[in-house]
Amino acid sequence: MLLSAPTAVRYSANLEAEIKSLERLIETLPQINGRYPSRWLAIQLLEGDTRLFAEWGEAEQGVLETAVAAAHTRLQAHYGDDVDLALTDERYLFVHELVEQVLTAPREQWSLSDRIDRIVTNRWLGIPIFMALMYLVFNLVQNVSTPYLDWVDGVISGPLTEWTIAVFTFLHAPGWFISLLTDGILAGVGGVLVFLPGLLVMYLALAVLEDTGYLARAAFVMDQLMSKLGLHGRSFVPMILGFGCNVPAIYATRTIESRPARILTGMLIPFMSCSARLPVYVVFGLAFFPRSGDLVIWSLYLMGIVIAALVGLVLSRTIFKHEVAGILVMEMPAYRWPSPKRVLQYTWHESASFVRKAGSFILVGTAVFWLLLHLPWGVTDVRQSWFGRASGAVAPILAPAGFGEWQASGALLTGLLAKEMVVSTLSQVYVGEDGGGEAETAVSAFSWSQVGDIVVGFGAATLDAGKQLLETLTPGITLFPNDEDGTGAELTLALRRSFTPLSAFAFLVFVLLYIPCIATIGAQIQEYGWRWALLSVIIMLIVPWTLAVIVYQGGQLFGLA
Amino acid sequence: MTDTFRVALAGNPNTGKSTIFNALTGANQHVGNWPGKTVVRRSGWFVHRDTTFEVVDLPGTYSLSAFSPDEEVARDYIVRTQPDLVVNVLDVTNLERNLYLTAQILETNAPLLLVLNMQDLALRRGYRVDYEKLSQLLGGVPIVPAAAAKGDGIGALRDMLWHLLQHVVPNETPINSLPGENDHVAFCPHCRAL
Repeated sequence: MLLSAPTAVRYSANLEAEIKSLERLIETLPQINGRYPSRWLAIQLLEGDTRLFAEWGEAEQGVLETAVAAAHTRLQAHYGDDVDLALTDERYLFVHELVEQVLTAPREQWSLSDRIDRIVTNRWLGIPIFMALMYLVFNLVQNVSTPYLDWVDGVISGPLTEWTIAVFTFLHAPGWFISLLTDGILAGVGGVLVFLPGLLVMYLALAVLEDTGYLARAAFVMDQLMSKLGLHGRSFVPMILGFGCNVPAIYATRTIESRPARILTGMLIPFMSCSARLPVYVVFGLAFFPRSGDLVIWSLYLMGIVIAALVGLVLSRTIFKHEVAGILVMEMPAYRWPSPKRVLQYTWHESASFVRKAGSFILVGTAVFWLLLHLPWGVTDVRQSWFGRASGAVAPILAPAGFGEWQASGALLTGLLAKEMVVSTLSQVYVGEDGGGEAETAVSAFSWSQVGDIVVGFGAATLDAGKQLLETLTPGITLFPNDEDGTGAELTLALRRSFTPLSAFAFLVFVLLYIPCIATIGAQIQEYGWRWALLSVIIMLIVPWTLAVIVYQGGQLFGLA
Repeated sequence: MTDTFRVALAGNPNTGKSTIFNALTGANQHVGNWPGKTVVRRSGWFVHRDTTFEVVDLPGTYSLSAFSPDEEVARDYIVRTQPDLVVNVLDVTNLERNLYLTAQILETNAPLLLVLNMQDLALRRGYRVDYEKLSQLLGGVPIVPAAAAKGDGIGALRDMLWHLLQHVVPNETPINSLPGENDHVAFCPHCRAL
């Protein structure tokens, strides 16, 4: 070794004696000796760490187990069964004495941080303050991102698509190839990118909350509530993230220490109504509940939370029964002003990894979906395509829930790629291919005015976002300032022909609770492995079907239509 | 000198460990996962006076008890991979809590260097730490005071790493003034060459 051996903790004589004798024993076991520092290993064994046993042969394991048991028996008189606590205590004592000798601190006083904490983590005020902050964050996300969302959507489905068509038509590329590029890949990439503005804002807000030190308090405040579901306070932040997008939320579960709690959280996150589900609610809300749309949407969000709580209760008492959530020990870092650099770094890092990970899944998914729509080769009627046939096959299963038509199940199938595709599929199959046909757009070629439009559009979006930001910070905001556009009205009529208010609500319940998208499952596979992801998928099929059927059949029983 | 020295950064969360990692390695970073774990592994390298240092940023932990994947990763790296030097970053304003991890690292017998970070904050709050004495009480563990958020102490840390790993430090000679940094005096009273 290069450096002198430093001075570590010296334990009480009786503990030291046991450590020494275990050390000597370890040094006689050639299998183990030298693989780890022997004093360290002796202390680990005394502390009751059995994790390392798995790495050795049975003989060594047996010898050490006997020796440790004997040591524990000898120490019982002094420490009872808490030898591990005794070791920890003495380590703390060592540290305490060390600090006494080297640190001169001013007399202890309540720092500003402590004073803030007395309010923010107060037993009664803690949760309302947290809820109010989260409400603010979500308004911010919603209001600031909407203008950009429209802009991204407009650029991709407008000029970008037209240019692609123009370029490849000029190159005499076959029609199917252009269709794959625009309807498949560009639409898919767009599907990911439209979420980016919202996610950027959300990550920014969370980075600020994290960097100021508030998020640690939030976890602390929510711990009691969450522990009833077998979860940590730490599980709360990923679940909150789930309202924005389930995919980053799944990745955010990494901050949870215990693996069972992490997996359980990851299985509950999909019930958090992500922002992609909102367009579906809005379209149906406008069509069937023009006066109480807001209420319907709120009830769906709430239902997601309640269902997550129930599923959590069941899972934590069955599959995760033996996994104690454990006590939340966490540090409350002192409050500080957020550093712009750290905040931006975090935002950039998280957003980039979202685009990378979700993007690759969606890209493959949309290409596959496009294929299903166009196979068997040369099919013209959507219903005769593989996609149409698959939808038809699924439809009867959904009949008890009140939406047994192939269009509805088809929309749900495409919703697997991304939930907002439910709306676009519904408008495609009900309203038909209106506007934006290939023949029509292929004529328009590249023009500089379009580039101008994009830039101007971005400026307008920024202006809008600024206005919305002001509105957010002032009370009295409207939650869903959506206006009905032309194609929307047509869709509304078509929906009213095929759904009743009751079956529409059952449909929304299903949309809320079933598999959010393949990207979420991808994230689950990556984080928890195939088996857990599969279990999650099964839950996300059984629960929504059951709930939707209960809503529909129950509603009919009570005479609702 | 073509040797590469492996340095592991250990410490509690929120001690400025990542800031120090970034300051040391700059753009030469690699982010991945620890094998078989979903814990993020950040590593990087830098060259100082013709010597290459490979730096691994261990997950921030309060102890080495292996209760969580983060702790397991940190502990396995220290105990099994055995880096040439463990750099334990501490928040001086929370010295007592931070030193618990130090006590555990000491038990692994790993070659250790302490960076006492957030020096600026500690001074403002009126904390005074007797570094020489702390180093003595720990049997000559070298100490570098730093205020990494302001970039203070990074130069001294680089020099200290170089002195410890590459250059043989004369016995019992304190390095009282390392070149480059005058405000933050790093010292190493009892480093011995073996």
